[in-house]
Amino acid sequence: MALSPDFKSRLLASVREVPAPTRKETLRRQTWLFAAGLAGALALFFIKGGLRVTSRPPSLIALTSLGTAVFAGVGMWLLFTRGPTGLRRPRAVLLGAALLSTIAFVGWRYGISALYDRASAWPGRVGLKCLALSVGTGGLMLFAALMSWRRSEPVTPRATGAAFGAGAGLGSALLVDLWCPVAYVPHLLLGHVLPILILAVAGGLIGGRMLGLVRRR
Amino acid sequence: MSGMLSKSEAAATQRRATSADEAMSQYAQGDLAAFEIVYDVVAPRIEGYVRRKVRDAGRVEDIVQQTFENMHKARGTFVPGSDVLNWAFAIARNLVIDTGRKAVREPAIDTTAENDSLGAVLAAALAGGEELFLARETGALLVQTFEGLTKLQQEVFELVKLEGLSYQQAAGTLGITVPSVRMYAHRAFVALREAVAETPETPLVPA
Repeated sequence: MALSPDFKSRLLASVREVPAPTRKETLRRQTWLFAAGLAGALALFFIKGGLRVTSRPPSLIALTSLGTAVFAGVGMWLLFTRGPTGLRRPRAVLLGAALLSTIAFVGWRYGISALYDRASAWPGRVGLKCLALSVGTGGLMLFAALMSWRRSEPVTPRATGAAFGAGAGLGSALLVDLWCPVAYVPHLLLGHVLPILILAVAGGLIGGRMLGLVRRR
Repeated sequence: MSGMLSKSEAAATQRRATSADEAMSQYAQGDLAAFEIVYDVVAPRIEGYVRRKVRDAGRVEDIVQQTFENMHKARGTFVPGSDVLNWAFAIARNLVIDTGRKAVREPAIDTTAENDSLGAVLAAALAGGEELFLARETGALLVQTFEGLTKLQQEVFELVKLEGLSYQQAAGTLGITVPSVRMYAHRAFVALREAVAETPETPLVPA
């Protein structure tokens, strides 16, 4: 049994009635929203004091930031962009990218700080301020990413939202790395890793409702 | 319902798919006329796939229509140079899953005829022999074996062996990696081959 004879004409007519943004319009909207999210995150970062050198040698700041930039950058690229098929990357790749980039940047941060003998415990610096700043800056980036892809993901809205959340968390790690001098492991886990998880879960939950082409009831 | 694609059919399909990829890229840029080219290439493939999954003919049309409407709405996110067939299959598959969830509470339909034709397709896909195609016993055994496969093994086998998608396209459609697709396809193929091997010689003769 084939489709009805008039199916094609009905379909083409119905499609013409529904406005849909072109690639150029979509890219323009995504660029503006992403830039706004980034600007908001930077504004929050500077309101909270911006780069804080404290007693850290500049070379330590440069090395940790460079490593974080590389690992977080690779992770963000894998999480935010699409694969060669034009679809979002497989879930296993997204999960692997989020996990490996997080482990790599935390390992790098701890390892380099340990070389400078600055990985010991900091009494009173549990990591709650870093957690708040990470969730704040990352949340703005996540919101921008979700808004820019709103109602445009036809296949995997939840996984895409979670990937955006993890990517935004890695982006915030770049900023918080410049702000926080502590490299004590429990602090890193609470203040720098937990936000990535929080943002990924939030991204998955919100993305499932916000990114799909059809509004979920 | 179609069987496994031959090499020449697969090559012709590949050529059409390339032109559909270009047409979809043009449509994403705003060229309205290009959508018809996309439709002509993609619709028969999607229809065949959906028809294999959904019994109700009315619902098949709904899903095909919804697939194209979703492609239209999301055209701005289509990356030029990407594989439109892969994208369309992924959209259609999601819609089939959604439809299946909604239809869970509906009364069951007698699937005997459905299973007979699935058995015939599976038999043809595996061996290509006329005697196998005609053997109901083999078909029934294959259906039983096929239904014993995991959901992913079934989906990979359908997309790769019956719909003629490449491993990469099937991986994109299912949201899994290419090595996983290879593994699932191999396991499904081995299981079905073993089922054929266990079939006695005599029932293969058509009645």
